[in-house]
Amino acid sequence: MMTTNQLIDVALKAGEILLRSGAEVYRVEDTIFRIFKSYDVDCECFVLLTAIFITAKPKGSDNVSVIRRIKGVSYNLHRIELVNSFSRNLQERPISYQEAMEILEDIENATQYNFISRLVVAGLTALVFTLLFNGNILEAFIAFGISLILYAFKEKYSVIGFLPFFEYFVSGVIAAAVCLLALSFNPSLNIYIIIIGSIMMLLPGMALTSGIKDALHGDTVSSLYRLTEAMFISVALGAGVGVTLSIGLRLV
Amino acid sequence: MKECILAFFGSLFLAILINVDRKKFFWVGLPGSLGWAAYAWLLDATREVIFATFVGAVVVGVYSEIAARKLKSPATVFSISGAFPLVPGVGAYNTVQMIVEGDMNGALGTGIETIASAAAIAAGIMLASAIFRIMKRPM
Repeated sequence: MMTTNQLIDVALKAGEILLRSGAEVYRVEDTIFRIFKSYDVDCECFVLLTAIFITAKPKGSDNVSVIRRIKGVSYNLHRIELVNSFSRNLQERPISYQEAMEILEDIENATQYNFISRLVVAGLTALVFTLLFNGNILEAFIAFGISLILYAFKEKYSVIGFLPFFEYFVSGVIAAAVCLLALSFNPSLNIYIIIIGSIMMLLPGMALTSGIKDALHGDTVSSLYRLTEAMFISVALGAGVGVTLSIGLRLV
Repeated sequence: MKECILAFFGSLFLAILINVDRKKFFWVGLPGSLGWAAYAWLLDATREVIFATFVGAVVVGVYSEIAARKLKSPATVFSISGAFPLVPGVGAYNTVQMIVEGDMNGALGTGIETIASAAAIAAGIMLASAIFRIMKRPM
């Protein structure tokens, strides 16, 4: 029904979509195993956050090994869900290569929310978290404004795309600078709450938690990768805010 | 009560930013508010941040496992969204902020607390999923 190479192709594609959507390492390995099992072929696979290694062991012919390099993660829960149900369906009813690849292409191109609604949602996130951290309404609306700027910047930036962590440094600078501007109009504001609320969506909460989740599953290498990433993001953000505030607070 | 509603929307909005399915809006917001309710109540009663975070995460984990079975999608979808209000991103940021300001003792304290809370969340969610896995296995 499928040659070994085609099967590897399908498994790699499914694994790549999962990894690039921010799925845990054990889930990717599980899915690849499940796809191979549906077609009754033995396999070994080893997944890092930056690469997938698969060796297929078809009965009666030579083993085949492949590596795929993975670049660029953008967290996407919907895709994880779709690939998950794809691999489960495969187990019940194996399908042909063309069909499988078409389904995976569709998953890869599944629609996202448009820019305007994501922008508004980013703003609302800041608003809600500022209130949750006991900020008042005025502070919440300032945070709303800041995170609109930050999200627009982030989207524009990902089009240009150079140094990955520099983006976070600049975001920190922007957030702190706007806060200082607001502070000069109204000195009673609590700028720390505003800054924290507005950068909430940039903070590496998911990387931090999945890093430890990976560690508890025994995937130590991937866990270290994620924790380091989380550390660099917080350092870049904090440095951006800190530098701006320490200069700015003396001027205001 | 006000905080629970805020935590509901906090979870939901962050989940939308990582592209959650339209049909699950209510179901990804709910664990945020349940987890936060447990966390806030325990924090008030015991003043133990890490313990409160752990219990909040267990609540999120149990909810996610049940929801995953009812709604037929991976538990991660619900647990990631539900954990957002608990996640110590703020702690991570505060730590660096203190380092920049030169407050090394403060940074050490917050830094350790941040790592411990992150571990508590992961452990809480995994505990719930382990329990469900054992229960599912035929005796």
